[in-house]
Amino acid sequence: MPGISAKATLAVAASVSIALLATACTGQADSGASDDPNAETTLTFWHGWSAPAEVKAVQANVDRFEKAHPNIKVKVVGNINDDKLNQALRAGGSNGPDVVSSFTTSNIGKFCSSGAFADLKPFIEKSKLDLDALIPKPMLDYTQFEGVRCALPLLGDAYGLYYDKDAFAAAGIKAPPKTWSEFAEVAKKLTEPKGDGYERLGFMPNYHGYETVVDHYMSQWDHAYFDQDGKSSVAEDPAFAEMFTYQKKLVDDLGGFARLEKYRNTFGDEWGAKHPFHTGQVAMQLDGEWRLGMAKDAGVDFEIGTAPMPVADDEVDEYGKGFLSGTVMGIAPQSAKKNAAWELVKYMTTDTGAVVAFANAIRNVPSTFPALKSPDLETDPAFKTFLDIAQHPESNSPPASVNGSTYQLTLQDFGYQYESGKVKDLKAGLEKTAEQIDRDIEQTK
Amino acid sequence: MTQVLERPPVAPGGAPPAARRAAHRRVLLEWIAVHALGIAAALFFTLPFVFVVLTSLTSDQQALTRDLWPHTWEWGNYRTVLDTPGFLTWWRNTLLYAGLGTALTVASSVPVAYALAKFRFRGRHLSLLLVISMMMLPPQVIVIPMYLFWAKQLDLSGTLWPLIVPMAFGDAFSIFLLRQFLLTIPDEYLDAARVDGCGELRTLLRVVLPMARPGIAAVALFQFFYAWNDYFGPQIYASENPGAWTLSYGLESFKGAHHTDWNLTMAATVLVMAPVILVFFFAQKAFVEGVTLTGVKG
Amino acid sequence: MTTSMTANTLRAKRRSSALRTLAFMSPWLVGFGVFFAYPLVSTVYFSLMRYDGFGVPEFRGLDNWVYVFQDYPLFWPALRNTLWLVLVMVTCRVVFGLGVGLLITKIRTGAGVFRTLFYLPYLAPPVAATLAFVFLLNPGTGPVNSVLEGLGVSAPGWFTDAAWSKPALTALALWGVGDLMVIFMAALLDVPREQYEAAELDGASAWQRFRFVTLPNISPIVLFAVVTGVIQTMQYYTQPLVAGKVASGIIGGSGQSFEPGYPDKSTLTLPQLVYNLGFQRFDYGSACVVALVLFALAMAFTALLMRRRGGLIQAGDR
Repeated sequence: MPGISAKATLAVAASVSIALLATACTGQADSGASDDPNAETTLTFWHGWSAPAEVKAVQANVDRFEKAHPNIKVKVVGNINDDKLNQALRAGGSNGPDVVSSFTTSNIGKFCSSGAFADLKPFIEKSKLDLDALIPKPMLDYTQFEGVRCALPLLGDAYGLYYDKDAFAAAGIKAPPKTWSEFAEVAKKLTEPKGDGYERLGFMPNYHGYETVVDHYMSQWDHAYFDQDGKSSVAEDPAFAEMFTYQKKLVDDLGGFARLEKYRNTFGDEWGAKHPFHTGQVAMQLDGEWRLGMAKDAGVDFEIGTAPMPVADDEVDEYGKGFLSGTVMGIAPQSAKKNAAWELVKYMTTDTGAVVAFANAIRNVPSTFPALKSPDLETDPAFKTFLDIAQHPESNSPPASVNGSTYQLTLQDFGYQYESGKVKDLKAGLEKTAEQIDRDIEQTK
Repeated sequence: MTQVLERPPVAPGGAPPAARRAAHRRVLLEWIAVHALGIAAALFFTLPFVFVVLTSLTSDQQALTRDLWPHTWEWGNYRTVLDTPGFLTWWRNTLLYAGLGTALTVASSVPVAYALAKFRFRGRHLSLLLVISMMMLPPQVIVIPMYLFWAKQLDLSGTLWPLIVPMAFGDAFSIFLLRQFLLTIPDEYLDAARVDGCGELRTLLRVVLPMARPGIAAVALFQFFYAWNDYFGPQIYASENPGAWTLSYGLESFKGAHHTDWNLTMAATVLVMAPVILVFFFAQKAFVEGVTLTGVKG
Repeated sequence: MTTSMTANTLRAKRRSSALRTLAFMSPWLVGFGVFFAYPLVSTVYFSLMRYDGFGVPEFRGLDNWVYVFQDYPLFWPALRNTLWLVLVMVTCRVVFGLGVGLLITKIRTGAGVFRTLFYLPYLAPPVAATLAFVFLLNPGTGPVNSVLEGLGVSAPGWFTDAAWSKPALTALALWGVGDLMVIFMAALLDVPREQYEAAELDGASAWQRFRFVTLPNISPIVLFAVVTGVIQTMQYYTQPLVAGKVASGIIGGSGQSFEPGYPDKSTLTLPQLVYNLGFQRFDYGSACVVALVLFALAMAFTALLMRRRGGLIQAGDR
């Protein structure tokens, strides 16, 4: 039958062409930017925010940009986590983003060293921006890696302690705890057991308790993740052992790991209205500055107190510091519209009006000096706590590394094993963890 | 317990009445035991569905408590889920992936299965071995080069095409299943058609296809469900683009992305399960035949 | 003259029949090349390379193999979990599937209804079924623990407890035992009646009839169920991943990354490692090493299946 051989020919032709495609190699995208920023164009902007109010605020911010730059339209895609971001930037496809952002500052090492984010230096020079005069130093530090500036900060996050003032008053506690030993006392005092659960828990110390992760605790002890040679120092630096010991004792004192985990499973979503701090299931929460706005939106029926997180008993002179983080914003290397993309990055990260309006809307810490001083910035005393933490000289964020936050995940994993009692030997455990971190980094190089 | 005991109780003709009564009682007791077990098993298989549906109808307030029976029946939960941005897009994408994928799979797998079942050629045995190997291959084994191929060479990441296009080139499981089915069609029918002057293609279309309809239905159903249920594929290729998510992938992200509590998550779960169950009721026979074919007809 | 003509026609006929075969097989031939042979070779190639998706792959010899087997902290836990699942989950599923299959052949009243009810859970999409079970077995608010605690039993933490997460996954797998049930049901109905009658005449007890009549007759099906169960376990991905993510509370909201395996690596399986290495750490080389281990295991069991059940292929060939 002639029909059949024609079909066969077609199939063979198809298979040959696919085989050719498979071996053909498309080169890396050209890193030069030649597009005209004044031309009509559409940018794709990826961000990780997902709470409805935050998503709306991002869109409002973008709308203001579109008004100022009528030739540029922006397609906004939210709820993108770092895994998806990394994957898309590596794929380098045309469906990918032009402008990208991430919450994980420790991934900056991976972004800058691998070229996942384009180098911003030529754009900054072209726009004659003096970054040192514009942006606080800690934020400048966590947006570059080994001299490559591949991102700019888009608002900052400062972490502190939230507490239920009414519960404090009822328990006769006058002021928020300043040291970790005071904190443990307060947490125990505020805990009201019920059956094998709790009527109210003073504090959820478990590492899965939303923001109570290892690196957030660690910020309140003087510590260094790596020594001068870039080797992990979690085993040598006594601060780590102190932190793990403290947390484990707190877990045991508040009812034990299993009981706490069971209680944790009755909590609502971290980004939803039924957050355990909103509902009064916990009386204290370690959290970022955004919680204030969220708690108010959720309509909590108690007065919210804020304070810096406690510090180690022998480091009380550093009280006031906290964990710092923030959103970083950059340009995808394969974008064909880098000049237009830079306009959006520049607007969102450095335009005082834009930064202030966005900070007010999502209740984050502004990331430029003019915005921090701006009279338009809405601050009440509870929020000022976080502005102060953000500017405290001892506030810190974990260092960037070539393999991103993998070292933190490894340490966190040890934390899970230690808090649950599965691993008993802290010293040996930390030594093993340090070895693992070094080995993983070596594998990445 | 054996099958024999289940047959209608006929006591031996000359048995005394006492023995007959004893036999009757034994049969009755067994009937009760079997059906009690059956009901217990039925509870195990259905209670999860019941709990899921009940939870999907509770209020936000109740969703995080241990109270199961809805205090107020919140039918609006389903409305809320359907109104969630994206949910209807996930539906559309899933239908595209499952529908187009199934059509392509059937179209490309039938001729291959026919050749493997009815043609005699060198390398037939080897081909069949390779089909079975492909069938048993975990998709993760080849995902790295495949991903690089689709994303870097063809610029198709963020779409469902990397999942749909391969189905135009035969699906090993479908080929195998169809071949098993086609083996059961006697060669005499084919020979008769050939004697009448039909070429192979016409024999396939006119004679084999109508007879193979149950097998094709089974394959189509399996493929449809495979695409409907697939999580790994969309996770790799479509996760970065919410506009290309399918129901299975979207459902998993639902709780995280929309910060909902269990009631809405369970309502979404019901909405993902329901179509599958509806399809099953319409195509029950083809289904059970297909499952049997995988195991027994070999 | 005549003979040469016949030879020509024969040759032409053979050629056209070869072309015909090629045409019918062509979709699969392309599929085999592009979606099986090429990526497999490529996987071997990448397993020797250091490649993160940027720049060009760099030859590293066996470095990735050493890293995965010696230093990758998730590899051995995942392999141990796989062994557990093969030993416990596959066994439970086969025994339970056979039990339910036997039960369904005994049920006289409402058999159709029972069969449908038993079969339905198998159809529940894995993500939906897993979400449902994580909810049902939630130690804080789930109905199962409410009931257990109401009965005074101290209830386990299920998906939040490393010792109970795999049993919880097993419960989920037993819920979806419908496929095995149908296969066993068909096999049981195929057992010749006369053999039972003969056994009964010989005075065999119920257990003896099962042991000496039923089992020998269905043993090929039992073997088939075991081996395909093992192969499915090699591919076990969606349920443990979704269970771990949802139970941990970290399911990708607000940019969070996750490490699979919650709680404490107890739900890790080999396919998840390919995802973790390839699409979270972007170490494509090491991901390919795990992929090849997975390949070797899957093919070993496939070979077993084909050797022990030659019938799978030869049936109908005659």
